[in-house]
Amino acid sequence: MRSLSLTVNGRKVGPIDVPDGLMMIDFLHEYLGLTGSRLCCGLGLCHACTLILDTAEGSQEVRTCITGAHFFDGKAVRTVEGHAQCNAKGDVTAPSLVQQAFLEHYSFQCGYCTPGFVNAATVLVERLKKQPVAKAKVEETISAALEPHLCRCTGYVRYYEAVKALVLSTPGLTSNDV
Amino acid sequence: MRNFDAERRGFLKASVLAGVSVYLAPLGSPAFAALFEERLLTPLAWNGADGTAKFRIDGLAKATGAKIFARDIRARDMPHWPQQQGHAFVLRTTKADRAYQGFDLSALGDELKPDRVVTAEDIARDGLAFPKFYGEDMLLPRGKTAAYLGHAVAILIYRDFARFRFAKNKLRLREDTIRYGEITGPIARDPWSTFRFVRVGGETPYADDIYSSLKDMPIFPAGYRKHDPVWPEANAKGKLEQAGMDHAAHIGAELDWPPAEWFVHEREYATQSIDTSAFEADNANGWYDAANRALHLVVPAQSPHEVLDSAGEMLAKAAMKIDKLFLHPCSTVGFGSKIRSNFPFYGIVAALYGDGRPVRLANDRYEHFQTSLKRHAFRMRYRIAVDRKSGLLQSFQGTFEANGGGRCNLTPAVLKAAAAEAQSIYYFPKSDLAAVAIASHAIDAGSARGFGGLQSMAATDMAMDAIAAELGLDPIEFRLRNVLQGGMKNAQGAIPTDAMRAGEVLEKARVHPLWMRRAERKKEYEATRPGWRYGVGFGCAQKSFGTGAQSAFARVEIAPDGRIALWHVGTEIGTGMSTSQAVVCARRLGRPADAANFSVTDWTDLPMVSSGDAHALNEADSDRAATNPRWTPLYCSPSDASNSAYYYSHATDAAARLIFEHGLWPAALALWGGGRASRPSLRSEDARWVDGKLSCAGMRPLALAELAKKAHAQGGVTGTVVHVFNRWQWAESEWDIAGQRVRAPIDGLALRYGAGAPAAKKAMMKTPNGFHLLERRAVEYPPAQRNNPIVTRYSAIGTLVEVAVEIASGKVELLAHHSIMECGVPIVPQLVSGQLQGGLAMGIGHALHEYLPLYEDGPGNGSWNFNRYRLPRASDVAVWTQTAEILPPLSANDAPKGIAEVVMIPIVAALVNGIAHATGHRFSELPVTPEKIRGVLA
Repeated sequence: MRSLSLTVNGRKVGPIDVPDGLMMIDFLHEYLGLTGSRLCCGLGLCHACTLILDTAEGSQEVRTCITGAHFFDGKAVRTVEGHAQCNAKGDVTAPSLVQQAFLEHYSFQCGYCTPGFVNAATVLVERLKKQPVAKAKVEETISAALEPHLCRCTGYVRYYEAVKALVLSTPGLTSNDV
Repeated sequence: MRNFDAERRGFLKASVLAGVSVYLAPLGSPAFAALFEERLLTPLAWNGADGTAKFRIDGLAKATGAKIFARDIRARDMPHWPQQQGHAFVLRTTKADRAYQGFDLSALGDELKPDRVVTAEDIARDGLAFPKFYGEDMLLPRGKTAAYLGHAVAILIYRDFARFRFAKNKLRLREDTIRYGEITGPIARDPWSTFRFVRVGGETPYADDIYSSLKDMPIFPAGYRKHDPVWPEANAKGKLEQAGMDHAAHIGAELDWPPAEWFVHEREYATQSIDTSAFEADNANGWYDAANRALHLVVPAQSPHEVLDSAGEMLAKAAMKIDKLFLHPCSTVGFGSKIRSNFPFYGIVAALYGDGRPVRLANDRYEHFQTSLKRHAFRMRYRIAVDRKSGLLQSFQGTFEANGGGRCNLTPAVLKAAAAEAQSIYYFPKSDLAAVAIASHAIDAGSARGFGGLQSMAATDMAMDAIAAELGLDPIEFRLRNVLQGGMKNAQGAIPTDAMRAGEVLEKARVHPLWMRRAERKKEYEATRPGWRYGVGFGCAQKSFGTGAQSAFARVEIAPDGRIALWHVGTEIGTGMSTSQAVVCARRLGRPADAANFSVTDWTDLPMVSSGDAHALNEADSDRAATNPRWTPLYCSPSDASNSAYYYSHATDAAARLIFEHGLWPAALALWGGGRASRPSLRSEDARWVDGKLSCAGMRPLALAELAKKAHAQGGVTGTVVHVFNRWQWAESEWDIAGQRVRAPIDGLALRYGAGAPAAKKAMMKTPNGFHLLERRAVEYPPAQRNNPIVTRYSAIGTLVEVAVEIASGKVELLAHHSIMECGVPIVPQLVSGQLQGGLAMGIGHALHEYLPLYEDGPGNGSWNFNRYRLPRASDVAVWTQTAEILPPLSANDAPKGIAEVVMIPIVAALVNGIAHATGHRFSELPVTPEKIRGVLA
């Protein structure tokens, strides 16, 4: 058992005594009640459980089913519950741009994998803000970013189309380079 | 908390099942708010101008990671539960050929020892067992051989999470936990199901049949000998089944010694067991409140009512005194596998031994692979005769062997669907389709998207390409010559109900550039990409939606301000039915439901009763039962069989329509001037909703709020609860509404009247939610004989694929695909297209990637996960290059058709046919893996 402190969705959490060896997904689910990061394979293969780790270098996805909770000690993370704007009661008042794009494109069906796709697309958009991609390479860039994420319901098309529309319509994410 | 009072908390008693009262948390209660749609389903963003929904009603909750799945719920999310959450997992055998002799938990040491272990001895002592449908030995007793790999032997319960987690990790994949005794061999049993459809048509496809299942009967075996079916003796002058066997014998003899002008295609096709891989793994969270003799259960289920019903049956016999069962169904996903899943009943047992604490039993992926219902593996032997000169199909003899595994689930229904749909889109003058589902020691197989039709129709379309090649015909031209046309009979002798549109699909495919340019493109591609072979393949199928016995409840209400509320029995399983049902309201009421509730099990306002098996009822029993005005052949259907678009929508529409006709329309007439002489003759069928306002024959457009206010003031119908039943045709009934005899395609009805209704009318609104339960004056159920034809309602789709095959590796690259589909008038086009795209991906997985061994090296051994089981990724499905078109409806009021299953079928055959075009080899065993391709290219 060790003490764990971190920042989750902008909120300081801890110190909490957490057993060594406990995976981050269990910490999120059982200690914080944040169940939006979904357990699916438990092997880091489907990426339904990813969160966003914020570092000085930028944001990155991390799979919580294969990463111990203590790895995140002192770090700042975002889960799917932290993207939208909410009112004082916790009700969503405005989804993030990625979430909005997924809504408008009917991107998901059962929605179990959606949190992982939200995080992957968010990390991609944040990366493109720093490193815009040529318009001609948008599709392959999206494919590379989202390929690790498994979805059983949708056939992926509407996730990919939503991200493409968002990237192409958001100023600064693309360049005219070939 | 200890003195929890159900009624004080606002729960409503839904029904009494086998002595156990069943409750559902209704709107407004704390428990409901914690779980259900009140917060999770946002009002539908509606574009009134074009009548479209901007996004899914459950979209925001899903995009923001809200607690929407049963799996998300913990004790602390349930306001009236104790907050300390217990956890449990199940020990399972991994050998089914030797006696089980107990288990050894010493690896856990003292620290990780479970707080409670539940075994077969415990549940036997306490009177707990599976509901009858699920078979024997819920937990395997010592000394017995497991009926199937992965048979549960014990439930280990922990009061805290951390010890549970580490104990579970410690026992995973250990082979020394379960002890075994003598080798017995797997248990041998008779097949789970066997039957035969024989048909000999008349002189033309339109003439009366000489013999068919509809006209005469399906044939069942007289018994079994050494577990093989013994068919009735063939006798042309004997009983119906003997005459049928005589026809079967002639069909067989003719294929043995065919006329010289016939070509007989003879081949064995095999298709594998797969896991539907619903991402939400099976789970249940329950609390047994002994003091109040109550059990609370949160479960995912495609059929919450079935869970309620079976749980009531189970608990009525338990030693634990349980008077009340509270069920909290949630949105889920199953692709069929959560219909008739036994998992909720393990959740009940875990809760009952929780020592007062809620217990959560939640499979991880290994466990889900080990225990969830699988798609049936099939071996099929086809003999198909065709006239070489005309290219017309002559005869089809098919034998189907499905592997049902160690427990009988929905195996008989899957088997029936496979055989019934094997003819696919084609007309055969005669056919003999014999099917058997064997019992084995594999994991039990059950409902899975495609439901038998995937297995048989994909094989049929592989056969069509092979036959066309033999005849030297273009494969699509060959299909067109043989496509089932309107008025022709299917293999059971039934004439399909709707217009048959597979021919249109074929015509469009035939002129698609992918098809027309395939030879030229093959040359170009192979010239520019050495080491690769190019191919184009096509497949087509039409699959039933519905099961031949479909029923549903729906309740619609309109408030004085025009707000519409919908309650529906259907469960959201990811397909978007919660959105589409809300949208269905718009057809009659001008806009979608503002508030919608699904998985509703409380139908006390319309207390229908059913008896017997709706699929097996005979006419006399049905007529006798129907004299009870509350009787229906089927209480309600689960969310399955692609049933929401057509069948669920009918219930919603019928409920909304009655409000329109008996509430809003009289209000409109009053607002337009009542009996003024100058008022034109207005008919409700001429009314139209335009931009959210009701208009008719040039009268002033009326806003819904104005109409609703008037309807309430007039005491018109402002709320309806309906029950509907379909046996390939809707039951119709007659009712007295406001002094008129009204006929409607429903079989149960309750009405609510507006505030202005006279006191006598209001006095009749006595149900719990203030409805007037109407007496059914007459009812007409479709003939029970309709059970025999099995299928009469189809939707069709064809898919073209473009593939490249790498010779060295055997890898198949899907370059592009194009689908042509019919679906009537889509309710929400984006949802239809999403189902198509998702089904195509699942079909790609089935054709090329997904595979589970059936026995000892299969998922029953607990070692399977996505590292060994290959689900299609985006790079496998041609995510950027796939296209689709939907046939325009024949008319603006075409009914929406269910397509969620058929969409995955043609691409399976198309891929195999495309690989044949690329490599010259016709595979007949799925999946077609790189290893198999390398084997034939070597």
